Amino acid sequence: MNAIIVLTKSLLRQTVRNRQGLFWTLFFPLVLMFVFSFLGNSQSQVNLAIVAPSGPSAVVKALKRSPVFHIQRTNRHVALQEVQQGTMDAALFIPPVDPHHTTTLTLRYNNANAITAQQVVGSVEAFVAQADIALSGQPPLFQVSPQAMTHSHSSTYLDFLLPGILALMTMQNSLFGIGSGLTRWKEKGVLRRFQVTPVRPLQFLTATIINYVVVGLVSSGIIIGFATTILHATVLVPWVPLLIVLLLGMGCFLSIGFIVAGLSKSQEATIPIINLISFPMMFLSGVFFSVSSLPHILADIVQYFPLTYVANAMRGLMSGQLTAASAAFRNDIIGLLVWIVVTGAIASRTWRWE
Amino acid sequence: MEKGLRLENISKRYGTMTAVDSLTLTVPSGIVFGLLGPNGAGKTTTLEIIEGLRRPDEGHVWWNDMDVTRNPEHARSHFGMQLQTSAFFELLTVKETLELFHSLYRKRLSVGDLIERLDLTEKQNARVGGLSGGQQQRLALACALINDPEVVFLDEPSAGLDPQARRTLWDVILGLKSEGRTVVLTTHYMEEAEVLADRLAIIDHGHVLDEGTPRELIQRHMPAAVIELSRTVGVDASVDLPAVQRTENRDEMTILVSDHLENTLVGLVNWAQREGRELTGLTTRSATLEDVFLELTGRSLRE
Repeated sequence: MNAIIVLTKSLLRQTVRNRQGLFWTLFFPLVLMFVFSFLGNSQSQVNLAIVAPSGPSAVVKALKRSPVFHIQRTNRHVALQEVQQGTMDAALFIPPVDPHHTTTLTLRYNNANAITAQQVVGSVEAFVAQADIALSGQPPLFQVSPQAMTHSHSSTYLDFLLPGILALMTMQNSLFGIGSGLTRWKEKGVLRRFQVTPVRPLQFLTATIINYVVVGLVSSGIIIGFATTILHATVLVPWVPLLIVLLLGMGCFLSIGFIVAGLSKSQEATIPIINLISFPMMFLSGVFFSVSSLPHILADIVQYFPLTYVANAMRGLMSGQLTAASAAFRNDIIGLLVWIVVTGAIASRTWRWE
Repeated sequence: MEKGLRLENISKRYGTMTAVDSLTLTVPSGIVFGLLGPNGAGKTTTLEIIEGLRRPDEGHVWWNDMDVTRNPEHARSHFGMQLQTSAFFELLTVKETLELFHSLYRKRLSVGDLIERLDLTEKQNARVGGLSGGQQQRLALACALINDPEVVFLDEPSAGLDPQARRTLWDVILGLKSEGRTVVLTTHYMEEAEVLADRLAIIDHGHVLDEGTPRELIQRHMPAAVIELSRTVGVDASVDLPAVQRTENRDEMTILVSDHLENTLVGLVNWAQREGRELTGLTTRSATLEDVFLELTGRSLRE
């Protein structure tokens, strides 16, 4: 017991002093969330260049009043150039209005960014239809009342991203920490040096695992704190079930890390193997976008990935769609437990001290 | 029962390669014992078997009346080990590293004393990753001594050290002997073996070629004297010189091994005058361990 404590202390000391390692552990998650929190806000307004005959125009006035558009009046040449360069999302050409005929408003947009293009066309069409009715003086036949379906709050992309980032970090910390850290110690002879002391292998492994679990939990805490207090993410934080998911996720990825570290002889050989394991999960397991947006065949496979279980459970808990009692939550936990048993059994067979 | 380490018919095979081949050896307690051998001779494997780190396929190792092969963990509590490649956590300081090792043992020496003894006082708060080769070796030695061992194993302790650092290390090793500890070391350096070792075993192909004190080994294998001269002089086996056992070339030098130094020298001088040669670089010396080693293994130690 004493050996575990002193080893854990030394390992944590080593970890805390590895400034570069800590920086990269937190840097990407923080920057990603920061960037996406801005994108979410700026997407609501459309930058629209307007080319219209001089003089007051009812259409221009209405556009100016709309909160959806940020407009700028300019000439044809400049407008096209700005759309081309991307400083304006689209240019709207308004010809002189002839009250006896339908006036065609030409919308030139840059379709390099498909999502923005769709948003621009949609908003301008909706606006024109609305303006048409309003200017005609007739009461509208239909009206839409939009009502959000989320449980407790309106959800932003940041709220979606946060649980995914936590899941991703759990994987990266455990997999890279064990996979590359342990291989390095093995390669350089650190493990061998402890082998000749009275420290038992199990004690060394326990200390190593405690070290990575502490690192994983503290960094998750920092990320949750940053997202909720500074970026104002509106998520639920049910501590106990979240902790269970984090610990099981770490257990699973630490085991996979042990398998990799056990099989490979050098650190150079470990990194590509870890990348091979982590990259598909990073992009497919629902960290950045939902698994349901994948093609069916792919989604059927991806749902069994360990990171998918972690991301689903975390997102469910943090959005309020799942509680610890939900059947779907239990399925995720069972999935992770199966992974831990299988990978743990393989790790214990493949592990080598030298 | 005889005091010390005893190796009885140790064998270790890796696949078809026999690393140690029924090796038998006795190391009396309280001396410095040197294991000499070219690379791949089986020194490190032999050392690891004595330390109880590897199980031999056959044979037994005894420390006094304790079976090391059966109770490696128990035996290791009496042993201190400096491994050939042992690294420590790079971001811990020298003192923290020693304190970590200190807390793993029940019987132990004080960290402060060891720091002072191995001249690490100035570096005690420096991170291990930033130490020089000599400082790292001293830290490794300090860690090997932390459990107050009766036997200290040193695998190539002075590899990669500058002459100054090597001499400091020798003083420490001789100090260990004066405290009554047994030291077993492997080395590449003849001078080191001559200075430190009370007894030596020359090992090649996994067995002991010969064993004894440095003087005994030289007496037994190389009673003769050695004449060295520059290779450019052109002396070779075809030159008929009195009392010469053997003629060979080593690097830039020609080596003549002689049974009778005076007769050979007279013959050599006469030959030079007759042929009109100049005897550049001529030196004579008695045989060294290096010559014994070469004689026994046919290989130079430093290869």
